Amino acid sequence: MIEVRDLSKVFEARGHTVRAVDGVSVAIARGEVVVVIGPSGSGKSTFLRCLNGLEDFDAGHIVVDGMDLADPNTDIDAVRREVGMVFQHFNLFPHMTVLDNVCLAQRIVRGRGKADAEARARALLEKVGIAQKAGEYPSRLSGGQQQRVAIARALAMDPKVMLFDEPTSALDPEMVGEVLDVMKALAREGMTMVCVTHEMGFAREVAGRVLFMDAGRVLEDAAPAAFFASPREPRARTFLSQVL
Amino acid sequence: MLKQQRPQWPWHGLLALIGLGVVAALWYATSVVHYEWRWNRVPQYFAYEAEQVERAGDAGRVEAIVAEGERSRVTVRKDDGQTYALTVATRSLKVGERDEVGEGDVVGANYAWKAGPLAWGVWVTIWISFVAGALGLVIGLVTGLCRISRNPTLRGIAVGYIELIRGTPLLVQIFIFYFFIGTVLDLSREVAGVAALALFTGAYVAEIVRAGIQSVPRGQSEAARSLGMGAAQTMRWIVLPQAFKRTLPPLAGQFISLVKDSSLVSVIAITDLTKAGREVITATFATFEIWFTVALLYLLITSALSQLVFWMERRFARSD
Repeated sequence: MIEVRDLSKVFEARGHTVRAVDGVSVAIARGEVVVVIGPSGSGKSTFLRCLNGLEDFDAGHIVVDGMDLADPNTDIDAVRREVGMVFQHFNLFPHMTVLDNVCLAQRIVRGRGKADAEARARALLEKVGIAQKAGEYPSRLSGGQQQRVAIARALAMDPKVMLFDEPTSALDPEMVGEVLDVMKALAREGMTMVCVTHEMGFAREVAGRVLFMDAGRVLEDAAPAAFFASPREPRARTFLSQVL
Repeated sequence: MLKQQRPQWPWHGLLALIGLGVVAALWYATSVVHYEWRWNRVPQYFAYEAEQVERAGDAGRVEAIVAEGERSRVTVRKDDGQTYALTVATRSLKVGERDEVGEGDVVGANYAWKAGPLAWGVWVTIWISFVAGALGLVIGLVTGLCRISRNPTLRGIAVGYIELIRGTPLLVQIFIFYFFIGTVLDLSREVAGVAALALFTGAYVAEIVRAGIQSVPRGQSEAARSLGMGAAQTMRWIVLPQAFKRTLPPLAGQFISLVKDSSLVSVIAITDLTKAGREVITATFATFEIWFTVALLYLLITSALSQLVFWMERRFARSD
């Protein structure tokens, strides 16, 4: 589904170069749930944002569903239609109701009719447990509710892959669970998912693979059981000892 | 610190006192220069009853006067036996039945209410401001988008235009538009005036639009793009609606300025409110009254605009 080869992204910051992503090669199969962990500044969010072209990269290839992002002829909007993304700060459209947030892209990108889009939106809002808030504006919702709407908004496009960029980091602790539950349900349904997260419990329970990144490189690529029991890399051991 | 409730009425009293003081100072100032106020002369320049005098066409004798409401139908039999009729306002009748009338004699008059120069001036100021504002909004939107474009040509044109307009006085721009561009392109004074005001407003609106667009968080367009929306769709559905809401107060200020700045087109002989005021003063010598009236009329237009924007802001506040 996603194939990343020798991906590199370089920032120029205050005179010296930062290799945010440094020669990453990963293949993610259909239906796989991959959790990316690592210390802050390790390049995991940048890596994730490269996967749907929100960041441009300097070298390498990213092939999503057969479309190569390195090829200038690739229609990036076509790639993004198939790749849903959920952000740390939800990024709901504040000037639209919850229902319109979920309907807009369906209508203007997928070209669905109003009735179709609303039916799909209401079904998804039901699924994430927030159907009764359809007519509200996002500012009236709690963080956890907003994030569930954001997930519904991404799912409404019927994506083949879902990317999660620290979806619970901006939430109050008591709201983390409701978002993780939605993500777990999604994983069980066989959605291909790439999640950058600090929720080790989620990684342990749901992930098929764990990628540990540091300084722009993938240092470990292992099953969660093996990774959490006995990480090979010293930096991974240090990281785990700090977060667990 | 504990919240304290201090009485407010002494301050309201002071405010009223200052207001009274200002009025008293004005009254004193006019009495010092021995100005005679003639406010009664002002209303006729808003609307007046125009008199259309009706004269007899041919000599003859008034045969009958038939009242038809407030008007009367006067039938005149000419010396050769034929008749003709005139309809005039009853209160203006100058003839009675069986009176002789000669050719060109006044039979009476008809009256009609007409808008005076000040009313016309208000109308001209409103339509010039409205058209220039609408064009300025379009120009400003396009220029604002060019200003943040990645294309160096578009950006260069936008920056050059904005700097040129913001760095020169509007009065000079109006003269250049009327005397140079207007001559070259054979523009009427109204077109030149409106175009100068529109380009002037456009430059300022462009900067407001740019600031508004840049004030929308990056995450908004990232979320839209990640849903597969194109750059134009993202602008149309996500960024501009939010930017518009944020820019409403500065845009309102710009349009209020436009209404006031439109008084400058009077220098190219467009009879807007300011020029109408000057013309009325020439006829009445009621200088103080007319300028106060003109100022009040501008104030009415601009406060109506403020109210409209206030209402729009409340409507948009629904999603806060």
